[in-house]
Amino acid sequence: MIQLRTGNQMIAEGAVRAGCRFFAGYPITPASGIYRSMIDMLQQRGDCAVSAPDEISALAYCVGASMRGVKAMTATSGPGWALMIETVQYALMTETPVVIALVQRLGPSTGGATQGAQGDILLTEFCTSGGYTIPVLCPSTPLECYELSVLAFSWAELLRMPVIILTDKEVGMTTETVDYSRLPLLHAAERLQRLAPPRDGAPVHTYAYSAAGDVPEFMPVGGSMKVTATGSAHNKAGELKKNDAGTLDVLRHLEKKVRERKEGLVLVKRDFQPGADTLVVSFGITARTMREAVQASRRRGKKVSSLNILTLFPIPEKQLLQAAEKVSRVVIAEENFSGQYRSVIAALFKEKEIVGVNKIGSMITPEEIEEAIL
Amino acid sequence: MSFLVEGCAMPFCKGCGHTHVIRKLNDALVQLGLRAEDVCLTTDIGCIGLADALFATPHTVHTTHGRSTAFATGIELADSILAGSKLKNVVLIGDGGAMIGLLHLVNAALLNVDVTVLLCNNFLFGMTGGQNSAFSPLEFITPTTPKGNIIPPIDLCKVLIDAHAGVVARKLSTDKDLTQTIAQAIAHPGFAVVEIVELCTEHGTTRNELSGTAIRGILEAHGQELGLLRSGGDREEFGSIYAKKFPRQPAADRPAASAPMQPRYESALRKKIGVIVAGSAGERIQSSAGIFIESAALAGLHCTQKNDNPVTQGSGFSLAEICVSPTEIYYTGIDRPDVVICVSNEGARELGEKGLFSRLTPSTTLILDSSLEKPETAAELYRLPLRSLCGGEKAAAAALAFYLQLSKIFPFPAFDDLLKQKYKNDRGIFPDQFYAAIRNMEYVPVGAG
Repeated sequence: MIQLRTGNQMIAEGAVRAGCRFFAGYPITPASGIYRSMIDMLQQRGDCAVSAPDEISALAYCVGASMRGVKAMTATSGPGWALMIETVQYALMTETPVVIALVQRLGPSTGGATQGAQGDILLTEFCTSGGYTIPVLCPSTPLECYELSVLAFSWAELLRMPVIILTDKEVGMTTETVDYSRLPLLHAAERLQRLAPPRDGAPVHTYAYSAAGDVPEFMPVGGSMKVTATGSAHNKAGELKKNDAGTLDVLRHLEKKVRERKEGLVLVKRDFQPGADTLVVSFGITARTMREAVQASRRRGKKVSSLNILTLFPIPEKQLLQAAEKVSRVVIAEENFSGQYRSVIAALFKEKEIVGVNKIGSMITPEEIEEAIL
Repeated sequence: MSFLVEGCAMPFCKGCGHTHVIRKLNDALVQLGLRAEDVCLTTDIGCIGLADALFATPHTVHTTHGRSTAFATGIELADSILAGSKLKNVVLIGDGGAMIGLLHLVNAALLNVDVTVLLCNNFLFGMTGGQNSAFSPLEFITPTTPKGNIIPPIDLCKVLIDAHAGVVARKLSTDKDLTQTIAQAIAHPGFAVVEIVELCTEHGTTRNELSGTAIRGILEAHGQELGLLRSGGDREEFGSIYAKKFPRQPAADRPAASAPMQPRYESALRKKIGVIVAGSAGERIQSSAGIFIESAALAGLHCTQKNDNPVTQGSGFSLAEICVSPTEIYYTGIDRPDVVICVSNEGARELGEKGLFSRLTPSTTLILDSSLEKPETAAELYRLPLRSLCGGEKAAAAALAFYLQLSKIFPFPAFDDLLKQKYKNDRGIFPDQFYAAIRNMEYVPVGAG
């Protein structure tokens, strides 16, 4: 059951598997493969895949479609993501589920269209005013692209918010043999919907929740219950109320609903070795290099553990701490020059030596990671 | 009957045209006999964005500055194609937002989605202090054009007529028949725009001589016509065109994904190898490499392929990097290639610029077309008349076929049969002479370059 597939194609296949019925795209290397695949698959099914005139429209179309009650996705790279950030915040504020696949390339600005990079980590996570946690899933293989694409939809729908699939040119555009018999049978979650107004005739609020960590039941625009959606600071009824307690409560709720579900959300792949003194941490394309480097080091008699982070955000703090418990060195490998992910996890590792393996312009090689494994 | 909040006071300044727009929009919705749940009002930023709170029963979506039409387009696309087409969408946007979101208006018109845009043009940004907008008339005085505006105003109606909008009208907020115009626009099954020219009594009239009559004069002076400028274009609405072109398929009728490959050959490969294939764009470099890895997969091997070319995809060099391995491939880079194939000058130039030839060691097999200059290299060099015997477009496939015969990493027919199949040529895609030459191993290394 072998197929030749790119990571981009597998993200699209995962999306369709997850029940995505709406895609709006705008071409950009290295993400165009997702656009092409979604056009092919959705139009063939009679679902909606359209070309947008720019990235802002692409995401706005998706958010509108999702408000109408349909699972929606778009795909882009760094320059397009920069344009989408306004609308990502809008989706977050209006509690609208949407999935965005961000296939990184070398930046800043238009950068290098055909060069891979892992340089958008912080730009992806810290794109909201107020600093809200946005789930960022980071696959490193075509199989993981499929799995995490389904998962991204599940979390977008369950949390009612934007979820990002973060890959790069190397994962997205490399064609690989994919063993379909290894594809798990996954079912994406559906958003929790309110189907009818309460019997007592009480008003139905668009953003109603009981506890602050609850996710409001979704009602589609066009359904029988009136929706009052807004990107401005609002109370549960969607009313603009400057700084009143109900409004500030909603703003806290937007973060709390993610934090409370964090332990169910985070995913890592562990490869621990008893007696290891070094832990290597990586993600995305570099996690594959890490795997090769760790195996080579072990063949040379070294003891080393590794951790592949599949959910960069929320940060899997417990899993990182547990992995690093018995080592004295933590090596963090990522394809950017400043150590972006290292900068947000380093504080976890008190009294440990932190080593960054960083590079721009081409993939980190196994030898470069091996050198850091003493 | 009314869609407005009962007894709700209008939040706008005294004399502001927005009050008229809200009341007449409500009258139009009532006149059309629409159910509230079938109406979605999408509002932009600015004073007109306060409209949400004034409507009690229709769906309201308050959006970001300039983007209202894009969100409404998304709602309408999903509604018309995936949700039974029940909604009537109305966008309320000011002149400031209309210019930020010009692209969204133009694209909604081009698509011809069932969205009606009410563009409330009061010549300025009212909520932020009366700054000039792209709609300000010449010589208009605002805090940001204190000596008079020197940029001519946009005629958005003309722009949208050119974008094939079905209904286009320019009205004054005080026009007695504004309700009818709005109703006509909403009833139109497709994109419609009504530009409603109004007074900002807080900022507009205090600095400029503005009145209903003066506004007519200003518009006339700028060649901006009032009235119904285009009505009832006969283009079909986007959702119904889409639904005809891409009918909904019952799950069972959906074509299955491409048939998976079942490995049917044995492989002799014991470790991962990296192969670089270089040549010219348009000479099937990347597709030949693709057929090679497909055949390797038929021999149960794990493969990766990545391609490179200059920004223009149809000219210059073309490169494919492939890894083939008996075990799962983690690292997909090729730092020390096992095989380098180069079949054209453009490919050789690219590899040369990367300093590749000089980095190769005697353990690398270097296969060059015999037309190419011999590079400085320590690799084991084969020079084959690939282009002259097989042609430029088959040179890369020929080199890979030769390498397969040389290395025997998997059976030759795996690749050859696939080539025959892809090229629809049962007899084999290379001349007999080439097949014979590689079968008999007539080509020998010419030593290091």
